[in-house]
Amino acid sequence: MLELQQIDKTFHRGTVNESCLFRGFSFSVPVGQFVSVVGSNGSGKTTMLNIIGGSMPIDAGKILLDGQDITHMPEYRRARRIGRVFQDPARGTVPQLTVEENLALAKNKGKPYRLGFALNRNDLASYTELLAQLGLGLEEKMQVPVGLLSGGQRQALSLLMTTMTDIDLLLLDEHTAALDPKTAEIIMQLTDRVVREKKLTAIMVTHNLRYAVEYGNRLVMMNKGGIVIDRTGAEKEALTVDDILDTFNAISIECGN
Amino acid sequence: MLFLNTTLDGLKMGLCFAIIALGVYISYSILDFPDLSVDSTFPLGGVCSTVLMLRAGFPAPIAILAAFPIGMAAGALTGFLHVKCKITKLLAGIITMTGLLSVNLALTQFLTKNGYTTSIFSYRSENLKGIFSYDFINGFSRQGQTLFRIGMLVLIVIAVKLLMDLFLRTKMGYMLKATGGNEQLVISLGHDSGTYKILGLALANGLVAMSGALYSQLYMSYDNTSGNGKVVLALASVIIGMAVFGGIKRVNGTTAVIFGAIIYSLCLNYLVLLDKNGIYLKLFNAVLFALILIFHDRIAAMFNRRHAKVMTTIDNEILEEKRRDA
Repeated sequence: MLELQQIDKTFHRGTVNESCLFRGFSFSVPVGQFVSVVGSNGSGKTTMLNIIGGSMPIDAGKILLDGQDITHMPEYRRARRIGRVFQDPARGTVPQLTVEENLALAKNKGKPYRLGFALNRNDLASYTELLAQLGLGLEEKMQVPVGLLSGGQRQALSLLMTTMTDIDLLLLDEHTAALDPKTAEIIMQLTDRVVREKKLTAIMVTHNLRYAVEYGNRLVMMNKGGIVIDRTGAEKEALTVDDILDTFNAISIECGN
Repeated sequence: MLFLNTTLDGLKMGLCFAIIALGVYISYSILDFPDLSVDSTFPLGGVCSTVLMLRAGFPAPIAILAAFPIGMAAGALTGFLHVKCKITKLLAGIITMTGLLSVNLALTQFLTKNGYTTSIFSYRSENLKGIFSYDFINGFSRQGQTLFRIGMLVLIVIAVKLLMDLFLRTKMGYMLKATGGNEQLVISLGHDSGTYKILGLALANGLVAMSGALYSQLYMSYDNTSGNGKVVLALASVIIGMAVFGGIKRVNGTTAVIFGAIIYSLCLNYLVLLDKNGIYLKLFNAVLFALILIFHDRIAAMFNRRHAKVMTTIDNEILEEKRRDA
């Protein structure tokens, strides 16, 4: 499904702040896998997502999606096949528009945005049903501007909007990090359900080791632009937080954290 | 009588400028782009429609409509400079504005050859009979003529407003709003947000140029300096309009900015009464704009407490968010 081949990435190239993150980094994700990625700050998790999503160029290497070379494809073109939920709940919705308007925009993804009317009263019932499943009371706020919703509500909406249309790959960029523990749990369960129901391939970056262990069927730990733990299937099932915590602590001490 | 005339003149001017304000509502309010090219696209519309009428024999209404695509091209240039050449918003606008000054001057030469003109910078002629000049209104009193023209302008402004409202309800219109509200979402939906910025600026300046064309037919003259201060005027209209009417439920953004333009033009016209030689007009413009920027929150609170409350909730929400992120 997704393949990163021999990626090189150096920040601030040619300045005193030059720092090399990836040298010959390779990583691949088969169809239907739900990968959790953990690692300390600066380990390259988010950079990896930025590289896959197309918001950051690479110095060398190749990115393949379903065998197609997408290395030089601009972010908006990749977005037609790759969905992404950001850490900041504000990035997945338009604050000035209502819940209904945001959903209508997302529903049309993949089709042209021309001079047809954006809102269709017939869709309202299906939106209400969709939102009612969340149990966050969003179905009663259909006409409320999204800017007035809480972070959790907005993130749930972002997740729904991202997965409303068919995508090949879902990127989750610490998408529960800005939420309170209870809301984070709700969003995490919602994520798990959506990924299962839609049989999505997903990569989730998280700082929460428990989520990484509990959810998904592969766990990857990164450090200094490399992979230090990579467990799949039964090996992953057997993994506990304590198992990875030791490695995590060792890495962190090494980094001086 | 003086007061009545001033009021009528203010109304007439305000309605004409309401079209600029509608354009700037797209660029400033919807796209969050303070577009300075307006100062030159306004006279561009005026000179182009005048040349088309007098040199190419276009009927007056067609000449006004023709100003729209011409203004769009100028707006698209500002958009191109910002999006593709990565020039900051203000500077991209300044470049287009400055360059167009020469274009406008060059086009004015087409008018001067027949010697109609008072100088190369301006043009005034009874031959410039536009959509506001009819033989039968010559019999009317001065106020009657102005009222007739105000009536025509009201119809034009309402037509433009309704078309714009319709456009803003389409998928394309929503993408424009999304581009101003959260560019990342437009990208996530698989579209280039830059394209929508260019489109929005083009539409905005198309309206501005059309307003310029209306203006030259309304006053039967064209002046290369008529664009000076139009950015300020339009921004002030949008901001005062949103402050006074933005919180009222049944009044949408386009209606609010139309009334904003009328309020602003009336204020300006009353101020000009104090200044017989017209020296301080731009100063009034600037001072009025500064006052609006300083007091628009308080004005909004005064006119609609509920609106103010909603805004505070959003602010608190954002603060809360920031605290949590930190």
